[in-house]
Amino acid sequence: MLLWRFSPPFGISGSLNLSPQVALEALHIPTVWPPMLDAFSRTVVSADAKTAPVGGSELASLREYVQDGNKRLDAVNAITSNAYCIVSDAVTGMICENTGLIQAGGNCYPTRRMAACLRDGEIVLRYISYALLAGDASVLDDRCLNGLKETYIALGVPTQSAGRAVSIMKSAATALIGQTNTPANGGAKYRKMETTQGDCSALVAEAGSYFDRVIGAIS
Amino acid sequence: MKSVVTTVVTAADAAGRFPSQNDLEAVQGNIQRAAARLEAAEKLAAGLDNVTREAGDACFNKYAYLKQPGEAGDSQVKVDKCYRDLGHYMRLINYCLIVGGTGPLDEWGIAGAREVYRTLGLPTNAYIEALTYTRDRACAPRDMSPQALNEFKSYLDYAINALS
Repeated sequence: MLLWRFSPPFGISGSLNLSPQVALEALHIPTVWPPMLDAFSRTVVSADAKTAPVGGSELASLREYVQDGNKRLDAVNAITSNAYCIVSDAVTGMICENTGLIQAGGNCYPTRRMAACLRDGEIVLRYISYALLAGDASVLDDRCLNGLKETYIALGVPTQSAGRAVSIMKSAATALIGQTNTPANGGAKYRKMETTQGDCSALVAEAGSYFDRVIGAIS
Repeated sequence: MKSVVTTVVTAADAAGRFPSQNDLEAVQGNIQRAAARLEAAEKLAAGLDNVTREAGDACFNKYAYLKQPGEAGDSQVKVDKCYRDLGHYMRLINYCLIVGGTGPLDEWGIAGAREVYRTLGLPTNAYIEALTYTRDRACAPRDMSPQALNEFKSYLDYAINALS
């Protein structure tokens, strides 16, 4: 289980008569998130470091983002529309491969802890959907992965199992985006997104890289 | 960095939900207008030095007193710095055209500019004149397509309004 967000300590701020923000800063908890970038602002930030305008070859990858914009939105939709299925399958699959998790003493026992696990799966998938929409991993890094491993270790969450759940989510999400899922793989939950057929290999690879980033960050 | 995508993601994250259809539509609208923005950015980047020089020349032509002793441009070093600053504004406008929002101008060009100019005793009128000259000089289709020019001019106007 994971304390995802620090709720403002109103008790402290009340007794000291401070605003929640002042109280948070006094506790050295950042109240302003690090910058979030998308594919466009990422180019701008790296150009600014060289005090050079963005032009020529750097525009090519941005034009690609624009050109494949609809594909990208379809890909995000493929994840969000199937989020519940992707997450529950991944957690169930993780447990099927390691049934010790739901026996007494396991990290998915009792249901309260399995619920925390499902919630974390959904949070990770949500940040991956943001990263895919933005075309940049910064939102995933800043708001989800930063400190995640340390938190899991402190709370005794087995990071190997968590990584396995993420890799199952990766298989499901990339199959849905690339429309490579088959009735044989999907079973009773088989579903094909009704989008125009085309080459989605670049987006499948990009989405996969965000899942790999999560696995890399916690293992 | 403020842009349509980051605004949408920030709102979705604050509510703890996946990107909704509304969010995807908002991004789609941004993408549809992107071709003109990128064209303007490309043309501006290619002609950045010329645009900057012409703008600076226009400014010193109109306010010739600036080069007199004791004024903001009384040495070549100071004149060069004026051209450099104009180059920075043009570069930030190039960034705004890339991002599709005023984020770069706001964060790197406008925040604190008033205080800095007052401290250094620099006249903002001169910058306004230079940017206005660029705005009025640019024309379609000689410099870029009409839609691209429209995007470019809207950011020039934004900078002018922020300085005045």
